[in-house]
Amino acid sequence: MIYDLVLKIGYDYPSEVKDARHILRVRPRAGRGQKVTGTQVTIVPRPDEQTAERDFFGNALDHLLLLPPHAALSVTMKTRVTVTRPTPDLANTPTVAAVRGAAALLRDPGPDGPMHFLGPSRLIRLGETFTAYAEAALDDEAAIGEALLAFSKRIKADFKYAPGATTVDTPAEEAFARREGVCQDFAHVMIASLRGIGIPAAYVSGFLRTEPPKGRPRLEGADAMHAWVDVWLGEESGWMGFDPTNGMVTLDDHIVTAVGRDYSDVAPIDGVLITAGPQKTRHSVDVVPVEA
Amino acid sequence: MPTAKVLTPAAPERAAKGALLAGYRPPVGTYDEMMTADGQVRPHYREMIASLARMDEAERGRRFATATQYLREAGVFYRVYGAVDQSDRPRSWPLAHPPLVIDREEWATLEAGLVQRADFLERLLSDLYGERALVRDGVLPPAILGRNPEFLRPVADQGKSGHPLIRFIAVDLGRGPDGQWWVLGDRTQAASGAGFALENRVATSRAFPDLIRDLKIQRLARFFRDFRETLYSLDDGKGVRAGLLSPGPHNETYFEHAYLARYLGLLLLEGGDLAVHGSSVEVRTVDGAKPIRVLWRRLDSDFADPLELYARSRIGTPGLARAVRAGGVELVNALGSGILETRALLAFQPALAKALLGEELKLPTVATWWCGQEKERAFVAKNRDRLSLANAFPQSAEAGERRRPLDLGIRAADSEGFADMLETNGLDVVAQEIVGLSTAPVFVDGKLVARPVTMRVFLARGADGWRVMPGGFARTSSSTDPSAVSMQSGGHSVDVWVPGDHVERQVSLLEKPGGGFARRLPSAPPARAADNLYWLGRYVERAEAATRLVRLHAARLAEGERVGELEQVVGERLAAIGVDAAVGDPTEGLLDLAGQAFATASRIRDRFSPDGWRVLGEIVDMIETFREEPGDVAALASGVLTRLSGFAGLVHESMYQHTAWRFLQSGRLIERGRVTALVAAALAGEKTLEGGLEALLEFTDSRVTYRRRYSVDLTRETALDLSVLDPLNPRSVAFQVNGFKTILDALPGRRHGETLDMLSRRAVRLQSRLTTGHPSEIDEAFLKRIADDLAGLSDLLSRRYFGAGPALAERLESE
Repeated sequence: MIYDLVLKIGYDYPSEVKDARHILRVRPRAGRGQKVTGTQVTIVPRPDEQTAERDFFGNALDHLLLLPPHAALSVTMKTRVTVTRPTPDLANTPTVAAVRGAAALLRDPGPDGPMHFLGPSRLIRLGETFTAYAEAALDDEAAIGEALLAFSKRIKADFKYAPGATTVDTPAEEAFARREGVCQDFAHVMIASLRGIGIPAAYVSGFLRTEPPKGRPRLEGADAMHAWVDVWLGEESGWMGFDPTNGMVTLDDHIVTAVGRDYSDVAPIDGVLITAGPQKTRHSVDVVPVEA
Repeated sequence: MPTAKVLTPAAPERAAKGALLAGYRPPVGTYDEMMTADGQVRPHYREMIASLARMDEAERGRRFATATQYLREAGVFYRVYGAVDQSDRPRSWPLAHPPLVIDREEWATLEAGLVQRADFLERLLSDLYGERALVRDGVLPPAILGRNPEFLRPVADQGKSGHPLIRFIAVDLGRGPDGQWWVLGDRTQAASGAGFALENRVATSRAFPDLIRDLKIQRLARFFRDFRETLYSLDDGKGVRAGLLSPGPHNETYFEHAYLARYLGLLLLEGGDLAVHGSSVEVRTVDGAKPIRVLWRRLDSDFADPLELYARSRIGTPGLARAVRAGGVELVNALGSGILETRALLAFQPALAKALLGEELKLPTVATWWCGQEKERAFVAKNRDRLSLANAFPQSAEAGERRRPLDLGIRAADSEGFADMLETNGLDVVAQEIVGLSTAPVFVDGKLVARPVTMRVFLARGADGWRVMPGGFARTSSSTDPSAVSMQSGGHSVDVWVPGDHVERQVSLLEKPGGGFARRLPSAPPARAADNLYWLGRYVERAEAATRLVRLHAARLAEGERVGELEQVVGERLAAIGVDAAVGDPTEGLLDLAGQAFATASRIRDRFSPDGWRVLGEIVDMIETFREEPGDVAALASGVLTRLSGFAGLVHESMYQHTAWRFLQSGRLIERGRVTALVAAALAGEKTLEGGLEALLEFTDSRVTYRRRYSVDLTRETALDLSVLDPLNPRSVAFQVNGFKTILDALPGRRHGETLDMLSRRAVRLQSRLTTGHPSEIDEAFLKRIADDLAGLSDLLSRRYFGAGPALAERLESE
């Protein structure tokens, strides 16, 4: 599937800000079934400095510096992405217990190495609650692919998708206790649960196609950037995406932008600036299939 | 001619020594630093003990007092986190005597082991932030790296450049019952204590100059001089100053940062003083941005960059991690070097040493088991009685747990839910053998007693490898329980003496080896420091004005005057600067003002003499003591004024009169000018209050001058002339404005002949208004306008030189 993708993020500041430093993580990643062409990032006002880099996990970063006072900031990213992911054979995956055993021993310290995705991270604490939730849902002897799809559906069923109920700062524990949240909360809950039972899980930020193909329902989270979970299924199968907000395996409708341990590693825009108060944000996404 | 009979000192000396050691009983089964198991004084302690025995108790007391006095005067103190009662009051540093003496040959052995250990740590860190072969090859379990909060991924590849990531470390040592030294832990994040060791050394050399000489104690200065040369050599020959990056005045070791910065000639910097442009780091100074290439980092890594590391840090520099990646700045030690403090690493020492050095470590480490492995868990469960538990990993910034200087952990046997914890949290726990520490002699209430001791030693890396500081920072416990060895729980520090083979010449850090003489002007102070200096000037002056008004107020009431219009006016002026003289206790407001001055001075202790800082502390103490035992307020006020003029004298006589001094002075001039104008307006502006003119002269300390200068009776015009317009009266408003204008012309960024900017224009206008003014035209409006103009100058000065620091920075996140 080929998509034309437009992301717009805007900030309006109640009073002018200056000396603003930002990191953007908005350019979709290439690889694992994705081909990316012609990515353009436009920033208004024009930054005094703009540097492109890749982080430890291989995500594309843009470092920005905006010195003079400004009352608004807008970021527009346009790109074309080709996604081709074969439907996986979930039954033909190792057992949960086997993956846990392999993950603990795997020595690959590279960015994809499971070791980075097993422990607590900045926004994710492990704990009894999450571990018990995962233990109840995943049978050690089940094929992990099937178990994870079932677990994704279970989270979708157990939690209410409720935009505005939580913020970027809401801890996963709180979202869990309230049984509601947005894609970020769903992803954090799934990650904390899986790590609690020794299954490597990563946070993925990205996009969903805006309008579903004929006869299929519109997915939750298509109006803004979306988040889901990458899980390691053993050395053979490697990493595979599961979307607990929509209870599904990620296929051609999901476009990966950045991968990390939790939201703090992949936030589309981070900034430190001198400001007098809270800002208003605007955020829109358009993912349109290109007719072949 | 009298003949002296030569006495053999042996007999009385033995008796005195016997008395000194009479009650000294090291616990059975431990190693004592001074005494062998059969009660003999070890050879390397003999000379010191003999010498201490020759002194009577009074002399020893005098010598200890000399040391204490030095430490108090130098302002050595440390903070205790979380102390609720005396919130932020610094405590004095508890130094005990005598020093811990280490035998020369034993020290040489220790030194070899320490140098090897530093090499080992350096290679270990290079691998973790480079090839990560230790993990790839299975020497270290993957979790040690993967779930380590000090493995900072934004700088994950910094070790590949090949140059050392650590250059200054500390190692904590303890000695077991068999006399063997053990490594208790490594300090690589922001090792503290070296400055305290230096101060302890100065203190003990004041107390025992004869012993230091006779025992040929090795000096510490050379070690620091070499380290300074190392720091300066890291800037690629660009000749830019190096800095010490501190978390700021709220950190428990801020004194040490200020002290070391001053001792080594480094700029004392906080995260907010720095800005990253392109790939380079700059210091925001009052003379614009100045490049800096080398930073001795005393700030925990995760707090150093809120953009890429811990987002909630308010003490970091956004973009610093990127500057590190781009090679624009050299941090000593590198970001993320705290990973070496991971206790779980201690469980893998032999294998790591074999892989990294191809040999065994000369210094053993305390036996440690990482409970992330099943076999180890079982062992720990079985042997819990002789083990203590501790965190396997450094604490994350998010966890917010404050680091203790030396955490020996909890005893496993005391821990509830022990078995459960091992099963569910085993990965995050290590068990360590409970170390039996050696004891060392310290005087407690005039008697030598044996106390458990640990020793922190320091190493620095120069171009030719690691060197050990010949000495250290030892801590003794206040009880006999070795687990209580922590400054935070009431232990003492003692100096560490290492005898050498010759008396060393004193090395001064003021001289450069082989360097010629060049008088360099001090570089422009960071904007934050200038801001603090300016406000220090204002607070000191405000405290003085308030004290004068309080004295005036108190004296009038003491003379039996009823509360009249004058008292009311003075009370209003006091209320305007936060002192309640009408209803409440005026000393409360005075204490606030003095406290603000002291707190501001504490933030910039590297910038002026310890004496000046101490004087301000004494004022605070004085007012506090008075508040506990109230007496005559006027007498208190006079005492405070004497101290304040002492402070002014120190600033004037001993502070180098360059940019830093100019900002301090600006603050004083502006505040004094403004307060004087307002007081004059209140006392004689609209109409002359009864006694108002005398009060004005009293306030401006101009009574004597008045009598000399004017032969006529006191009139409103002459009083106002003297206190407002007279350019020769150092307390007149005009004098302050003229002084400010002169200083302004000398501040950075001003060139003679250029078009005047707003700040200078306003200053000149105000100056000419006062120069051309006539007493007859002075009224309340005139004076209030002058006060407003001075406030305006203050704003312009702040905007021009201090800027808005990133203290106001807010992190912004997307939805």
